[in-house]
Amino acid sequence: MWRVLRDLLRTNRAFAAGVVLLGIVITVALLSFVSPYPPNDAYVVPPDVPPCWAYPLGTNSRGQDVFWQLSVAIRNTLLFGVTVAFISRCLSLVIGLIAGYTGGAIDRLLMSINDTFIVIPLFPILVMLYFVLRDHMSWLLLALAMAGLGWAYDARLIRSVAMSLRTREFTETAIFSGMTTRQVLVQEHLPYVLPIVFSTTMNNINWSIGLEVTLSVLGFTDINTPTIGVMLYWANQHTAMVAGIWWWIAFPVVLVVTTFIGLFLLAVSMNEFIDPRSRLDRVQG
Amino acid sequence: MTAAPILTVDDLRAYYATSMFGVAREVRAVDGVSLRIERNEIYGLAGESSCGKSTLIRTIAGAIRPPLRVRSGDIAFSFGDRRLVMQTATQAELSAIRWKHLSYVMQGSMSVLNPVRRVRHSFVDFAYRHIGGPMPEFLDGVRSHLHRLDLAPEVLEAYPHELSGGMRQRIAIALATICRPDFIIADEPTTALDVVVQKSVLVMIRAIQQELGSSLLFVTHDMSVHANLSDRLGIMYAGRLVEEAATAEIFSRPLHPYTAHLVRSLPRIGDASTKRGLEGAPPNLAVPPPGCRFHPRCPMAMAVCGQQAPPMEAVAPGHRVACFAVGAAR
Repeated sequence: MWRVLRDLLRTNRAFAAGVVLLGIVITVALLSFVSPYPPNDAYVVPPDVPPCWAYPLGTNSRGQDVFWQLSVAIRNTLLFGVTVAFISRCLSLVIGLIAGYTGGAIDRLLMSINDTFIVIPLFPILVMLYFVLRDHMSWLLLALAMAGLGWAYDARLIRSVAMSLRTREFTETAIFSGMTTRQVLVQEHLPYVLPIVFSTTMNNINWSIGLEVTLSVLGFTDINTPTIGVMLYWANQHTAMVAGIWWWIAFPVVLVVTTFIGLFLLAVSMNEFIDPRSRLDRVQG
Repeated sequence: MTAAPILTVDDLRAYYATSMFGVAREVRAVDGVSLRIERNEIYGLAGESSCGKSTLIRTIAGAIRPPLRVRSGDIAFSFGDRRLVMQTATQAELSAIRWKHLSYVMQGSMSVLNPVRRVRHSFVDFAYRHIGGPMPEFLDGVRSHLHRLDLAPEVLEAYPHELSGGMRQRIAIALATICRPDFIIADEPTTALDVVVQKSVLVMIRAIQQELGSSLLFVTHDMSVHANLSDRLGIMYAGRLVEEAATAEIFSRPLHPYTAHLVRSLPRIGDASTKRGLEGAPPNLAVPPPGCRFHPRCPMAMAVCGQQAPPMEAVAPGHRVACFAVGAAR
């Protein structure tokens, strides 16, 4: 495992670049734990100071240090993305594997639910959710809602793989040896679909962070929990662009774009370290 | 033989029933097959493609999935003093005998191993549940069993794609025999191998079978494999058993016209004559011909052959044939 990672770092530029970029982002996020200011306190430093030695990324119009604000924001944003990806991956794995393996009426039922989720427009639903919940809207509720909406594409993908696995000899041997459906799915089929899930996880984190930023910039989330989107929301509220406080907008944008690129690079190179067959191709090639 | 046969199949009918766009179709893949397999015996099942060999052994193994259905007939195993009728056995009873008493080398057994799991995991997944005990002991048992099949213990840590076809084949056989089953079903286990590897695998199968004292139901369309391995041979044609006898007897004195053609078609050293193929093609099992299913292609066909199905009758001890012409000639 560690040797594979080391080899990947050496031979695969995309993986190395992704690790470095995400490393920077995660370091910034971890620094939030040693932040000198509570994240929601305003006017703790002089407002509107451009980047300088005392405040490396400047301060904003609300009297907050942009760097420390940013570190809390990226931590919450990353946590949000990972939570959404984790919950939606669990959903899509369970639904995809069961639908593909059992087939018949269960498959039709699950896939009609699945297709419903694929065709409904997500953005208006999330906006509507905000208008229904208003002040009750929290970080966790939004994550749950997005996980509940974001599993459908991958469930279909996993189902298609599971359908082909169902007809393989090793599945028949597994059934013949007395393995239950759950055991077949977990022990035999899950390892087969995991590489696919790993790379889609990265894309799903990207997707959920992007959607969260969009919603937050428009103010359709809990604006008291600092995230990248919420930072941009407050910058817009204080007309940072017009006032020339460019560092309040530029640094969050740069950091979130770094996250996107890092996750994307990991997603494309992830397959090689998960799948033993493509790993072997690389050894030979 | 005094002891009860290990497997008794009585008048088994297994059909594929499909209903598509309101049109019901029934493919009679196995239609009235009866056979007995004794302990410590290798029973060969031969026949051309789509004659129902695989369906028959699937049914015998109890690996029945729709659209395959058993219409009538009995399949009974007796392991030691335990008797088990497949049709009435519960799922729990079936999983209790599987692997431990009854194992199955699937067709295309090169791919019985999960490509993304190490070989060790396949052994643990499939066989450990039937053996139990401490895991290190189980793995030691697996290693010594692999040694018997000329496999290094290192293959346990390999992925299937890292092994050659012959090695995978032997692992599949090791998987099926690890629990020392009383009855092994093998569905064309050597078909994908070249003749050299095939020979060594066959020798190993025979050695393992003799060591365990188990019975083996061996299915292949390759008559030369049967000549090497089987004690007794059953010939299937279009879903029915047409002839059954000791292997040497089938090759030296085939009685059924189909068997006779089959044996005559085999090349012999020194024989330079041109081989003649049998006219026609095997019937569509969805609409089989009436009477004897072989009569449209049979050179000895009589009027009765198109009306009634010939019963399977013993013509000599241990030699059964289903043919009116053979009966009339006697």
